[in-house]
Amino acid sequence: MITGRRSPRLVSRMAPHLVPHLAMARTALITLLSHYRRHPGQLAMLLVGLWVASALWSGVQAINASARDSYARAEALLSPRLERLERRDGAPLGYADFTTLRRAGLPVSPLIEGTIELNDGQRLNVLGIEPLSLPAGGIGEDRRTGNGGEDGANPLGLLQPPGQTRLAPETLATLNFSPGERPITAGGERLPPLVIDAQLPPGTLLVDIARAAELLKRGPRIDTLLLAPGTPAALPAAYRRTPAAQGLSPGQLTESFHLNLTAMGLLALVVGLLIVHAALGLALEQRLGLLRTLRALGVPGRTLVALLAVELVLLGLAGTLPGILAGLWLANILLPDVAASLEALFSASVGASLSLPWHFWAGSLAITLGGLATAGLGMLWRTARLDILALGHALSSHADSRRRQRRQAGLATLAWVFALGLWAWPAPSGTPSLIAGFAMVALALAGSALALPVLLGAALEGLKRCLGGNSPRTALIRWALADLQLQLPRLQLAMMALLLALATNLGVTGMVGGFRLTFLDWLDQRLVADLYLRPPPAAYDSWRDWLETRPEIATLLERRETDTRLIGAEGERPVALQGISADPALTASWPLLATLNADRAAAWQSLREGAALINEQLAIATGLAPGDMLTLASPSGPFTAQVAGIYPDYGNPRGEVTLTVERLIQRFAAKPGSMGLVLTPGLAAADEAALRQRLTRPLPASGEALAPSLVDQRSVHRQARQVFERTFAVTRALTGLTLGVAALALFTGLLAQARERRARLAPLWALGLGRTTLLGVTLAQLGGLALATALLALPLGVALNWALVAEINVAAFGWRLPLHVFPAAWVQALGLAVLVALLAAALPAWRLWRAPPRQLLEEFSAS
Amino acid sequence: MLEMRDIRKAYATPQGPLSVLEGVDLSLAAGASLALMGESGSGKSTLLHLAAGLDTPDSGEISLDGQRLSAASEPARAGLRRTRLGLVFQQFHLVPSLSVADNLTLQARLAGRETPDWSGELLTRLGLAEMADRYPEQLSGGQQQRLAIGRALAGRPALLLADEPTGNLDEASAETVLTLLLELVRDSGCALLMVTHSTRVASRLERRLTLSHGRLLAEEAR
Repeated sequence: MITGRRSPRLVSRMAPHLVPHLAMARTALITLLSHYRRHPGQLAMLLVGLWVASALWSGVQAINASARDSYARAEALLSPRLERLERRDGAPLGYADFTTLRRAGLPVSPLIEGTIELNDGQRLNVLGIEPLSLPAGGIGEDRRTGNGGEDGANPLGLLQPPGQTRLAPETLATLNFSPGERPITAGGERLPPLVIDAQLPPGTLLVDIARAAELLKRGPRIDTLLLAPGTPAALPAAYRRTPAAQGLSPGQLTESFHLNLTAMGLLALVVGLLIVHAALGLALEQRLGLLRTLRALGVPGRTLVALLAVELVLLGLAGTLPGILAGLWLANILLPDVAASLEALFSASVGASLSLPWHFWAGSLAITLGGLATAGLGMLWRTARLDILALGHALSSHADSRRRQRRQAGLATLAWVFALGLWAWPAPSGTPSLIAGFAMVALALAGSALALPVLLGAALEGLKRCLGGNSPRTALIRWALADLQLQLPRLQLAMMALLLALATNLGVTGMVGGFRLTFLDWLDQRLVADLYLRPPPAAYDSWRDWLETRPEIATLLERRETDTRLIGAEGERPVALQGISADPALTASWPLLATLNADRAAAWQSLREGAALINEQLAIATGLAPGDMLTLASPSGPFTAQVAGIYPDYGNPRGEVTLTVERLIQRFAAKPGSMGLVLTPGLAAADEAALRQRLTRPLPASGEALAPSLVDQRSVHRQARQVFERTFAVTRALTGLTLGVAALALFTGLLAQARERRARLAPLWALGLGRTTLLGVTLAQLGGLALATALLALPLGVALNWALVAEINVAAFGWRLPLHVFPAAWVQALGLAVLVALLAAALPAWRLWRAPPRQLLEEFSAS
Repeated sequence: MLEMRDIRKAYATPQGPLSVLEGVDLSLAAGASLALMGESGSGKSTLLHLAAGLDTPDSGEISLDGQRLSAASEPARAGLRRTRLGLVFQQFHLVPSLSVADNLTLQARLAGRETPDWSGELLTRLGLAEMADRYPEQLSGGQQQRLAIGRALAGRPALLLADEPTGNLDEASAETVLTLLLELVRDSGCALLMVTHSTRVASRLERRLTLSHGRLLAEEAR
């Protein structure tokens, strides 16, 4: 109402003043934009740059956002506030324990977990809960009240026949079922009807505990007893409490994986924005005359700057919005591979379909537009400082160009000094920081990119000076070098993009290749048994006794595992604990990174006598070294052992301590695990086949009806390789795409200045050089420049490879990889760079070759 | 209409300040025409730039229709240029991405003073009506300069400032363009201040002043 009274007066006061200004702004904006009508190539370059930058960035962010949503739901499922109970004697829990504790007045609730396979081969996690006794504040709250499910109103839905199978919407989509349907398991059992529960993480089915016990064939055993938070401390003597979410959450474990993806996305964004920056610079340079004319015709400088900012926003929206949509398409393609990697590496379940919060859209738009604003800031600054009296003067004199080069060289030096400083400066915690590692890499890449034009310029000048003689060929080469120097300011951003993409490609290829070699070697050393058997826990001892009598088996390598806490001066940290058979069959090839006095045999002997081995992750995180003492929490009190050695443990995100299996049983009451079977050398194939056959059936002597699970070494190898390849599929895809973007930068850069290039070549044509010669010169110029860029990318790629394996990897995963270099990849990179340049130059060169003499004549006159 | 009093301007050079104008006084009445002559480096273009508000004097006063140009802010000077002045340059400075018709009406539109009848008449009188949809690069030098004159006059300015408008043209084209320029200036009633080297061109204007070493010599009668 107030506005209604005020507005006529406001309009009448403002209108005479504002209307002419708006008309002027509109006309000036149309005039500025008309530039792109005459130069559609530049507009395409700008939009393509923005499109690819936002597509790659938002694609990576979409993957990260979806994964984080899955982690959040997984963490919400088992609230860290809930506690678990376990028996002090390490025996498995059963319904008898549940009854005893409930009768003692403790609010406990049973939980069982496991994996089932459907009849179409899909595997899913099953969580069995008892809805009536679930403590509030954890997984129980919503499901007790029925708020979690779609049909939600009935809290007893899980219990009442036919029960419910609750699952996340994306799990339902992956299974290709509809709500209410009843999938069938591989064992022929029908699940209760499916009900959507948006709070569940992907890949998890929630059912009543009785139904879960049937599906998982658990009998009377339960996995966990959950205890409501705030329950009084006194517990029956036979039980003790442990936090429910012991160890790291999936979100924490996978943080470094997502940070790596973000870094790759950021690199693609930077490369894309380099194209945008180049296009904006070109558009400004070509419109300097127009800007000065508009100023002379009465458009104020500030208005021009504001109008160029409006132009930036319009271009930004036009390029970014389709880019984000393309990013979603890309994320949809890459997400299944990422989900498989995260499942294999961190056991973190991620939905195979995108789930994007609102801030993903806002964030993607803001980052890309922010990047565009940064790229366009220079343009606005130069416009604001435009010398109105320099009408018709060329923008960049040689002095300007030299000044710019000096500034770039200074900035490059500064970036490298900071990068070296970050490398040399010890981290306060003793372990490298991931952020510092990425900052070091970013500074080194930025410093190298800034130095590139300076180095290329110096190389061209040097070549020109070295060129002797006065033959026609020398004259032509001298002209080509001088012309390339002139082109360099226009091409420098595209060359920077090429340098960054090639170096990243080389660095990442080197890291992945080196990792593959090291990882496969390590697998061979660790997987010495021919078969791996995991009997049902109750039948473990019977199986071991039986196997020890078998002549087909030369050595039995037992392995058990459990979780405990490492007690240190700074507090406790959760660690994985494994027990192994310290048999020479295993220890002879088991790699050790460090031992006391570099004596491997002594280290293994120490282990047999009660010492411990620790993995590299734990050694880096705690600073423990061979000879140090470590203390672990055990059911019978603190357990102290000397560290006998450190072993590599690639792919494991957690710290791990290794003892003998006997020690693990004795002090940690570890549950039965698996057995490695080393077959007798020269065993007949028929005997081996018969043994394998026998190992897939239950052992009658054990009284256990369940069969053990058996895998052979070859399939472990195959699975590990598959995990490896899928893990790096995304990395390879992103580096490949970044190289593609760099090629695009070069192509659009050349296309945008093709007309001016022809005008510069026309005088040579007029002086008697054939078009084929000019074509050859053009291609040689570009090919040579790309080759020089690639040569500079080689050492940068090796440096990046080193930074990835020795700094980033240590910070992200806790282990170091040896540096491997692959000269074949270098040759490939050099060839690729020249190919990219020649492909980018092909279209402008073809146009030159096809240009009719009349056109060249006109361009000659114009030049 | 245009008053310049005791105008002084110097530029900083590595060898010290270079004085270009040393106390110039100039006045031009509405509808009058004046040729400003002088050798290269005598300060003619600087004086023209000051009159256009493209630059500001070190001292002295410039006023246009009573408005003090020398004390005005940059946006205010831009506003005066847009609405009261027309500028014609030796190098044309047309917008290559706009058609002939759009170039002609550009300043008038910027000033919010476009009158389609007058623009149409200008196009016809300049001999560009058949080429309205072409782009500047498709015109000859003479045609481009005629278009630049049309652009300067389309907004009906009070004062037209022309810097060697025929300097880039051959003799025949220069004569045609000059005749057209003077006709249009006369018909539109605006004043004209033209910088030129040519005494022949200067003789076609009402008054002639010569700048030498930053000072105006005595006015020569026509």
